[in-house]
Amino acid sequence: MKLLLTGLNHRTAPVEVRERLAFEERVLPEALDNLKKRPGVLEGMILSTCNRVEITITTDEHVDAENAVEHFLAESRAVERNWVSPYLYKHDGPDAVRHLFRVASSLDSMIVGEPQILGQLKTAYARAKECGAISGFLELVLTRAFNVAKRVRSETDIGQSAVSVSYAAVELAKEIFGSLSGKRVLVAGAGKMAISAARHLRRSGVSEILVTNRTRERAVAMAQEFQGTVLDYEMFSKTLPDVDIVLASSGAPHYIVTREQMRGVMSRRRNRPMFLIDIAVPRNIEPAVNELESVFLYDIDDLDKVVQTNIKGRIDVATEAEEIIREEVERMMMRLKTREVTPTIISLQEQLAALASAEIDRQRGRLGALTPQQEEAVQAIARGIVNKIAHGPITELRKQASDPGGAHLVGVIRRLFRLGEGQG
Amino acid sequence: MMETSIFWLRVATCLYGLGLLHSMLAIVRRNVKLYPVALGSFRVAVVLHGVALVEASMAYGRLPLDTSFATLNVGAFLIALVFLIVEWRYHFASPAVALFPLVFLMTLVASLEQPVAAWPNIGVRDAWLVVHIVLVLAGFAALLLTAVASIFYLMQERRLKQKRTGTLLEKLPPLATLDNLISVSMGLGFVLLTLGVIFAIVWAWVEFQTRWLSYASVQFSLFTWFLCLVMIFLRTTAGWRGRKAAVMALAVLGCAALTWVAQVGLRPALER
Repeated sequence: MKLLLTGLNHRTAPVEVRERLAFEERVLPEALDNLKKRPGVLEGMILSTCNRVEITITTDEHVDAENAVEHFLAESRAVERNWVSPYLYKHDGPDAVRHLFRVASSLDSMIVGEPQILGQLKTAYARAKECGAISGFLELVLTRAFNVAKRVRSETDIGQSAVSVSYAAVELAKEIFGSLSGKRVLVAGAGKMAISAARHLRRSGVSEILVTNRTRERAVAMAQEFQGTVLDYEMFSKTLPDVDIVLASSGAPHYIVTREQMRGVMSRRRNRPMFLIDIAVPRNIEPAVNELESVFLYDIDDLDKVVQTNIKGRIDVATEAEEIIREEVERMMMRLKTREVTPTIISLQEQLAALASAEIDRQRGRLGALTPQQEEAVQAIARGIVNKIAHGPITELRKQASDPGGAHLVGVIRRLFRLGEGQG
Repeated sequence: MMETSIFWLRVATCLYGLGLLHSMLAIVRRNVKLYPVALGSFRVAVVLHGVALVEASMAYGRLPLDTSFATLNVGAFLIALVFLIVEWRYHFASPAVALFPLVFLMTLVASLEQPVAAWPNIGVRDAWLVVHIVLVLAGFAALLLTAVASIFYLMQERRLKQKRTGTLLEKLPPLATLDNLISVSMGLGFVLLTLGVIFAIVWAWVEFQTRWLSYASVQFSLFTWFLCLVMIFLRTTAGWRGRKAAVMALAVLGCAALTWVAQVGLRPALER
């Protein structure tokens, strides 16, 4: 059985191509059905995300399925085959397994280590299974891919650090406050990034988010997005001592928080730490505020630096993950090869057992009536001979299953023992 | 007359002890439920303390100030009185957390001017000493933890201030966790040291009669305890964190180490 993976991703195809070839959720059952009907295709799965479209199939050894998948893709997405071909990559055998493992482990993602891809792959697998497009072989590879992804996450720090500005702000808040439950946040301004950061903070358990803006309507709209409370803009300064995190993203052309102001705030807070996030341009908070004890000020560039360092860190960690993948691919290929020779082993055992049984029946007339003990002894002799004859070939088959010469040996044994066609 | 004065002073010490208990609960468990009771007890104690001073003055014919015990006695009374006035006039109660233990300890020392003859038996003496040593060593261990956590806090704070990422320091616990550890270990250290000091004072009182207060090592021990009290006070009232708290914790730990060395040096003398 052959495993073949054909697809394109953010590295091989621009977004115009990816969006053209993407499969919508609703068309997937039909597409999978169509794929499975292609000649020689035994199993199939379609993974379609904003960054990749991949079709994984299993076929019989003698089938040229590469063209079949390309044809399928071109036909089902109504594009010319010549147009799509340059963007495609194709992997088969161990390379396909390796690619699937890397995708599941988020090593092939645009942002290495992002967790969504594993969920997307699991969904694609579930859809294919629902449509009856996955049975034994592909299931074995995919379930292993999920386990490999889990292993990579638990044994490396690949998903530990934040790789977006808003998430980096939340991670920094956690480094200061530990748990964010019970913490109060004050958001000044209503920028997109502020909304994103506030949403992350809300999910991380902050108890209250106060939103203030010169235009009250915008503050109200923003507060609704994450169950915040609207605060009058005039109350901004007075409220500072009572909040732990300030998220500034207003369009004010001057500083709305100064060093002198914060000195008083910290005195009233008895120096309890305060985290100020200034994502406005021009900046809303005087940079000298960071010099005050227990005040931590991060502007947009600081957060971006954190993100860049984290991305670099993830790439470094990816090297460790690649080693795990290499090890797992080897193990998987060994299992698949062993699985391939299993039908031959079963056929051989059945063939020899049938021969022994037939021979006993043929000689039964000569043996005359046998007592149960004698009958058992004859059967035991036959079983013993069968097992001894089968032992050598079975051991060799298992040993050479993972070698390139394994397929040749399977053929030889099938011919020698006249194992029937269609039995594996 | 003098005996009656000492009696009232000892009753006052017991009542001040409730204030000490409140401070310990406030420091270790942040529980201030005992404060109203402790304050009431403190007020009664101040009155009895005043009575004791009046009686002592009548016995001497003047305010007794010629010994360390007598000076501590008057000093403790004045501190307690000033605190009560400030508390009544300005409702400024936060110094209580430090003043209650201070007044208790000063009064306790003052009330031990009249020595007792000897230990009931040698077993009690030894057990008393063992309890004192264990309490003090446990207190030192807690202070060591405070100092280590303070240094880690400083390192983590500096890293966050300087916005350095991708360093090993990222593995340190969050600032809040370290801060909590500092508060707990510092509070526990203070409570253990206070109990250790009380045991030490009583032991020295029986062992050395009234001479012990003049020993430099004892004075240094009391100074270390006082420094620890100041550290607690600054942390709970002024919110000292970061560099200041780390320096203070290291200073207290240094003094504690010196106290230990001084006491170890004293041991041969004690054995003699």
